[in-house]
Amino acid sequence: MDLASQLPQLLGLAWLLPLASFVLILFFGPRMGPHGRNAAWVATAAIVTSLVLSLVAFVSWLGVHPAVAAHHGGDHGAAHAGDHADAAGHDADHGSHAVQPPVAYSGDWYTLYEAGRLKLSIGWYIDSLTILMFVVVTFIATCIHVYASGYMHDELHEVTDHEVHLTDGSHLHRPGRFPRFFQALSLFCFSMMGILIAGNLAMVFIFWELVGICSWFLIGFYYERKSASNAANKAFLFNRVGDFGMLIGLMALWGALGTLHFADSQVPGPDGQPVSRPGLFSLVRPAETGHALRVPDGMVKFAAAEKVAKTAPGDVAGKVDAWRAEGFGKWLLFIAGVGIFCGCAGKSAQFPLFVWLPDAMEGPTPVSALVHSATMVAAGVYLVGRFFPVLTPDVLLVIAYIGAITLFIAATIALVANDIKRVLAYSTVSQLGYMMLALGVGGWVAGLFHLVTHAFFKSLLFLCSGSVIHACHTNDMRKMGGLAKVMPYTAGTMLVGCLAIIGAGIPFVIGLSGYYSKDSILAQALSFSQANPRHSILFLAVAGGAFLTAFYMFRLWFMTFAGTPRDHHVAEHAHESPQVMVMPLLVLAVLAVVAGWTLPGGFGIANLLEQSRPAGTTETVQGGFAFGQTLTVPAEYLSHEGTIHVTATMTAFATALGGVLLAAAMYLWRVISPAAIATIFRPVFIFLANRWYFDELYHALFVVPAHRLAAVASGIDQGLIDPFINGLAWTARQVAGIDAWIDRTLVDGLGHATASATWSAGLELKKLQTGSLRQYVMFIAAGTVALFVLASIVFRSSLAG
Amino acid sequence: MDLGSLLTSTLTDTLEVSLPLFRVELALSATIVLVLLCRMLPVLRWLDSALVALGGVAFALWYAWSDLRGLPGSPWPAVVAATHPASQELFGGLLIFDSLTAYIRFLLAGFLVLYILFTKISGIPDREDGADFYTLVLGSSLGMCLMASANHLLMIFMAVEMASVPSYALAGMLKGRKASSEAALKYAVYGAGAAGVMLYGISLLAGVLGTCHLPSMAAELGRIVGDGADSFYVADSAGPIMVLTLGGLMMAVGLAFKLSAVPFHFWCPDVFEGAAAEVGAFLSVASKAAAVALAVRVAFGLGWLGDAADASAAGLADVRHFLVYLIGLMAAVTCTLGNLGAYGQTNMKRLLAYSTIAHAGYLLLGVAAAVAMLGVDPEGCRKAVTALAFYLGTYLFMNLGAFAIVAVLRNRLRSEEIAAYAGLVRSNPGMVVAAGAVLVSLVGLPPLAGFVSKFLIFSSLVEAITKGIERPLMLVLLVIGGLNTVISLFYYLRVLKVMTFDPPPEDRVAAPAPVWLPGALVTAVVVPVVLLGIFWSGLYAYAQLAGTFAS
Repeated sequence: MDLASQLPQLLGLAWLLPLASFVLILFFGPRMGPHGRNAAWVATAAIVTSLVLSLVAFVSWLGVHPAVAAHHGGDHGAAHAGDHADAAGHDADHGSHAVQPPVAYSGDWYTLYEAGRLKLSIGWYIDSLTILMFVVVTFIATCIHVYASGYMHDELHEVTDHEVHLTDGSHLHRPGRFPRFFQALSLFCFSMMGILIAGNLAMVFIFWELVGICSWFLIGFYYERKSASNAANKAFLFNRVGDFGMLIGLMALWGALGTLHFADSQVPGPDGQPVSRPGLFSLVRPAETGHALRVPDGMVKFAAAEKVAKTAPGDVAGKVDAWRAEGFGKWLLFIAGVGIFCGCAGKSAQFPLFVWLPDAMEGPTPVSALVHSATMVAAGVYLVGRFFPVLTPDVLLVIAYIGAITLFIAATIALVANDIKRVLAYSTVSQLGYMMLALGVGGWVAGLFHLVTHAFFKSLLFLCSGSVIHACHTNDMRKMGGLAKVMPYTAGTMLVGCLAIIGAGIPFVIGLSGYYSKDSILAQALSFSQANPRHSILFLAVAGGAFLTAFYMFRLWFMTFAGTPRDHHVAEHAHESPQVMVMPLLVLAVLAVVAGWTLPGGFGIANLLEQSRPAGTTETVQGGFAFGQTLTVPAEYLSHEGTIHVTATMTAFATALGGVLLAAAMYLWRVISPAAIATIFRPVFIFLANRWYFDELYHALFVVPAHRLAAVASGIDQGLIDPFINGLAWTARQVAGIDAWIDRTLVDGLGHATASATWSAGLELKKLQTGSLRQYVMFIAAGTVALFVLASIVFRSSLAG
Repeated sequence: MDLGSLLTSTLTDTLEVSLPLFRVELALSATIVLVLLCRMLPVLRWLDSALVALGGVAFALWYAWSDLRGLPGSPWPAVVAATHPASQELFGGLLIFDSLTAYIRFLLAGFLVLYILFTKISGIPDREDGADFYTLVLGSSLGMCLMASANHLLMIFMAVEMASVPSYALAGMLKGRKASSEAALKYAVYGAGAAGVMLYGISLLAGVLGTCHLPSMAAELGRIVGDGADSFYVADSAGPIMVLTLGGLMMAVGLAFKLSAVPFHFWCPDVFEGAAAEVGAFLSVASKAAAVALAVRVAFGLGWLGDAADASAAGLADVRHFLVYLIGLMAAVTCTLGNLGAYGQTNMKRLLAYSTIAHAGYLLLGVAAAVAMLGVDPEGCRKAVTALAFYLGTYLFMNLGAFAIVAVLRNRLRSEEIAAYAGLVRSNPGMVVAAGAVLVSLVGLPPLAGFVSKFLIFSSLVEAITKGIERPLMLVLLVIGGLNTVISLFYYLRVLKVMTFDPPPEDRVAAPAPVWLPGALVTAVVVPVVLLGIFWSGLYAYAQLAGTFAS
């Protein structure tokens, strides 16, 4: 079986298994063992099988497309892992490979709707990125399923929720919801993989909304808590705002281009022979331009509709190039790109839509680890990566700036947060900003590489925090401290996670996974800043962000694990978590270390990603599209070269070290008093502690006006419409009263009379049925005679005439 | 033509034309022989006769299905070209094979499959009586198949008797019970009386018309009625017409007996009450379907000769006019008296007997509409026959469901009185829901199957009215049909009221009966009642096929 038919089957099955698990638990969950205990097994079995299938797909892919030195990208990866010495020797072979499109398999399973050119279908687009993401998602999901079967054991019996106060002052008692948790988790896995495998944007959108609803279920898992249900609604609403932009982007693409498929597809032509219909990628980057970005014909014609109307139909094709040169359609392409990015910004919690993610930590911790750090929120980054060929340099610049703003704001808020999960949440937002920025400055591999490594170490960090919360029954870091002694495994694995996220490593020798991905982001940002000096603030944001990251992560670790216990009540009860929770920590910790490595022989994630690099993005692109003619998006290989690379690596090392040392000075050695700092920079501290007043700002800008509007509407409703309706109702009642009187006396009287008449007629008829056989036989004769008499009277004229 | 070639042509006709289209009946006959054989031979005695019968009937069903599917214009074209002729006289004109034959035979065979499962589950007959019971049922069904395809007076009489005589014995199946024996006796004597009258009518008709072959009779009838002057019996043309009228009416008595139409319905309540519910189900469904088919066949056969526009056509219009009034009046009376008679019944089976009579009335309404539009408005006529065929299809499930519920409840409560069902909803909610679906469907309320079929019947009446065909009569019939629906609401819902609102009797001792199989049975029969009310196009397509038989 060849890869083209094997991959869709493997990944399709891996994709559908969690759906099967969802359906099973939905219908039979509560009956699966005591309190639905076995639902965890069903869900875990499904995701483990998906993992195995994904791994088989992964291995088959590598068998056909080994991730080593396929073209120059592979060399870079190898060099990166090694000593970076030969980075200069690649210029020679760049040109020859620039026009090679990446290897991808695509097709459709099922067509939902087809009319003319428009086609909505469930299909696949599989390249090395898809397969890699499948492995990552199913792997982390597997770890989290195992972890959650321990973490959620409270839900196996009657639960007393201490955070819900009923009106009588008591706490809420409710039955456990163990199966429901795994049900939602399975649905989430299905939806997430749907986004990954999707062969067209419509399918992406469907599963985009599905993960949204799963997120809503999971954040609101403890829906009796006001904060949880509010957080769930908030997440949902903010995502809708982003999706609104996404819909606009979808419409721009569909309206102007008539397709949402990523890749070219084979459709039956007029003579029955299959013809190739171009997908989005080859429309925007056609082969004849060497896969360079070009406004597609459809958009040009769409934008120049007035001119098209004035031109004879035969001449339109000839004039398209002229119109394109005049600039028609470029804004449409820009809008399409920014629109899709809006959706990504909502899902990936980018500025200004990032405020929902920290609140989403109201959900159970395994959910935070899987949905709100490693996978779902990364879907936005993934989609930007997938959609990358269609994005113009201007859109990329927007993305880069949004990413930079996000990473900076989130990092500053994380500095002062005291809730352990919130620190991690802001850290997630910040890291997502990193990825977006990396993509925006042209670091396609760098951004997605960081997405993969981040998935491992961030889920590890969240699971560690869950383990801590499980032990301490509080999220407040100010009550923790000294936990390293009682929870050695958790402390150790979390230290690995912290080191990974700050990109720790020995410069130019070896490091944890974050070291490689963060370095490549820094290098690309530096390369971009050098090419566009006016945008050099982007590099500063990245470097500053790295410093802040190192500081707040180690602040977290020192406050939690180092020193002496601050709250003895908490410390006394603390204990290491059960084995079922520790095992996933260890597994993820190993991956957080090694995920960035390139094995001898060249196999590594960066090389694997390089196989899927969009065609036409290999080389430096000069010139913006809609604005900024001077914009330059430097090629990614340039960032691996000598000076840039050395500068970036040293910057990363210095900022990380600085951050760690500062944190240690404040929270471990206590040389600098945090309280003193807070007093000195009091306004800044308050500003940060209040999260830049974003929530208040949105409240004033949107919530309050909405409430006002609602109040006005409600006033109109109650003051004007209700009295009118009530008046109508009153009149109708009066009329009905009269009617009822007529009904009761006249109509009912008639009805009753008829009823009693039929009743007595029926009873009379009964008397005829005497049961005497002699009479019955008589009736035959009598009946025949009667019929004959009747017939001869009635039909005398017609028959005898 | 010498004797040799005559024999040869007869043999060819029988072997090559008739027998292949007679497979359903042959399968039933073979099954009867097999069941009897199993009973006689000690070697085969271990075989359960119900299973033998089920196997044979399954074959019959398959043949009936392939016959129906092989017709030209079949809605499910598994075969590209039709394998069967649209219309074919068999055995030298004694029988006729057309879409109506195929449809009714399919209904009967399908019914038999369900019915044998039903009797097997409900436990009557027991193992000992099984062979007798199934022999009688299959024999009777064989007669019914012949009724649906009869094309000759002789065949009509034979078929009616073949269907009836086993029924008499079936009514007396519960040997130990006095009521059962009495029911059998009444049924037999009443049936014999009706058969006598019918035979007399047949002899009158055959004597005057000089033939028993329905199409030939129609030609002769048209000629006599058309130019009334020609008469070879008496100088007065009214003479033969009088004789013909009397003969026709007497034949109608036989058919009315099978249909349990008023005033020849007296046997029905007593027999249903006395006989087991299983027998009631058989009589009310299978017998009714065959009788309606036969009535349509006789009325169409005597009232129309195809599109031949000769002198006889005008005469046949008069004949049809007579038939429409005869059938229409009988329908109106049957409907009304059936529904009124059901008032105040205390026994469920007796109530269902009256319900059966009333439904015979509704069916006759459809027959009247069909005959009225016959030859005048072919499209409307087709629709009316379609409505009848659809009605029979849904009626199969409704009445089988009703009797199955009665049988299951009898096994559990040891009673068939309506009062015994009081408060049943508390102990057997599922059964009450099923009963509700069946009874409401019998009333003819949406969204159940009964509504669709009743709607189709009434709409064919409306079609006749809008086209001005027999308008006054059709208008009266429509009003009476509508009123009857309202009347029937009362007694059907009274049963439901007893089941749900009345307090259960304190001394109720529910026999420990198995729940699973009877529940599955009732579900299997009742679910189609609901489904056919919503997804009725499938059955309707086949009913439409049956509706094309006269064109």
